[in-house]
Amino acid sequence: MGYVAIKGGEDAIDNASRLVEYERLKSESPPLTIEQVKTQFRAGIDRIMGEGSLYAPEHAALALKQVEGCTLEGAFMLRAYRATLKRSYYSTILDTRSMRVERRISSAFREIPGGQILGPTRDYTVRLLNTDLASETFGSVKSFLEDIDSELQLSDEEAPRSFCKVVDMLKEQGILRPVDEDEEEEKRRVVDVTREAIKFPAPRSAALQMLARAETGGIAALAYSSMRGFGSAHPTIGELRVGHVGVSVRDRRGRSRYIGRIRVTECEIVSKLKQKGKSSVPYMSLGYGLCFGHNETKAIGMGILDRSMRVADEHPANSQEFVLYHTEGIESYGFTNHLKLPHYVTFQSGLDNLRNAMKRRDEEDRNAGAKKPKTMLNTQSQELADASPELL
Amino acid sequence: MRASSFLNKEVGDCFQKMEYDTDYILCECPLEPLKALVEDLEKVHEVKIAKEPSVCLTMVRAEDSLEKQEFFLGEALTTECELSVDGMSGYGLCLGEDPTRGYCIAFIDALVIGGVSDERIDRFLREQAEAIRERETLDFSRTLSTRVDFKLMEED
Repeated sequence: MGYVAIKGGEDAIDNASRLVEYERLKSESPPLTIEQVKTQFRAGIDRIMGEGSLYAPEHAALALKQVEGCTLEGAFMLRAYRATLKRSYYSTILDTRSMRVERRISSAFREIPGGQILGPTRDYTVRLLNTDLASETFGSVKSFLEDIDSELQLSDEEAPRSFCKVVDMLKEQGILRPVDEDEEEEKRRVVDVTREAIKFPAPRSAALQMLARAETGGIAALAYSSMRGFGSAHPTIGELRVGHVGVSVRDRRGRSRYIGRIRVTECEIVSKLKQKGKSSVPYMSLGYGLCFGHNETKAIGMGILDRSMRVADEHPANSQEFVLYHTEGIESYGFTNHLKLPHYVTFQSGLDNLRNAMKRRDEEDRNAGAKKPKTMLNTQSQELADASPELL
Repeated sequence: MRASSFLNKEVGDCFQKMEYDTDYILCECPLEPLKALVEDLEKVHEVKIAKEPSVCLTMVRAEDSLEKQEFFLGEALTTECELSVDGMSGYGLCLGEDPTRGYCIAFIDALVIGGVSDERIDRFLREQAEAIRERETLDFSRTLSTRVDFKLMEED
């Protein structure tokens, strides 16, 4: 059954579009500036950029404003915008060891070189509504900023350009599973899922790219399933870091050029690796998560799923196809919402088939001379047909 | 488990400091003084635009920490500009939609690569490098104020 287009209703569609704008504006509250949205809805902006797969804070702010705070639709907007632009450059590989760290913690080790840095987080405070925000003013903002700066003790250290990684320590100690040098070339091939349709099993590069642009809620749900019992994940955060990383490209002369920095969240998940034989040496294995912006839930979930998809097991989180297709936010959002569009012809077709099947059975029953009572469905269907023949 | 061998390293060993290069300064400095500098330089140099500042995409490449598996993280909005100053070509690139900065970077790139020595540019780069360093030290101090030393309960 193909799709059949409908026509008509242009005025109603136009009015519906204006009405949604009216809903946004009818209170006549002061319009939000893009700068306000960008700076005060940091988490929403970062989520939209990650799921929209486009690092563009101002445009993400515009999208968030346009769609009244819905991150799913905002990410959709950003991906659509991305599709209008030419890709002119490929960056050199990000050096996350040179991240300008804002937050860096390890659940595996109490002491890490450079120390654990909590950074900007609400993790260690009680989640209570702050009613003071309801009466926030320019004055209170200024006062807060003055306070925080007056209490600040300037560090004698210049900001470092590199923090060593916890994973390096595990590697040094031989605890992590050694890299398989003989791994099939296909598995290590660098794939761009925006240019090449993937087939399963997909190379790990495709899986990591898809997870990096996946929807946060979907990733969290599947990662949670593997921790809760539908899988064998017992993850520990080797290191979680948030900060800015420099981006460089080669210009037309072939010179390496710094073009700016992006905020990313990176997570290395460490978990035990089951060995097949009793004589095999046990190792820890690593799952890797990296995404645009400050989005710890996503980076952690990505690390867990990166690991679980490489383990042969029967649970959803172990299936690459299941994980990657169902965490793709734009597709799942689009497919779910397409159900709202008219499906009159397909639904009619279904009803026709149902009615014909019932009619055939009635005829068979009559021919067989059977005296079966009418079913509820049969009765209701006939009543509906009698009452509103145009519906059927 | 203690991270014995690793922790024996001094914290300083784990930090690497990097000098700022011209592009870093031009991308990270505030726009207004950069714009003012280029407007000043425009008075004595002839500029021909080869490619107006416009937006494009940069695909950001990344790799995992252990296996070095490369993958594409996503794209970043980028502004690019090409021009020539007194016949010397320059390329300006920066993240975001920032045509003024893209133009200014291309302008200064042309002069710097062309070997033009101008005290105004040198002074600007020195001053801005210092301002960036101060700002980053301030940011780092705020970050360091949240450094924590977790203790096990039995240690108390």
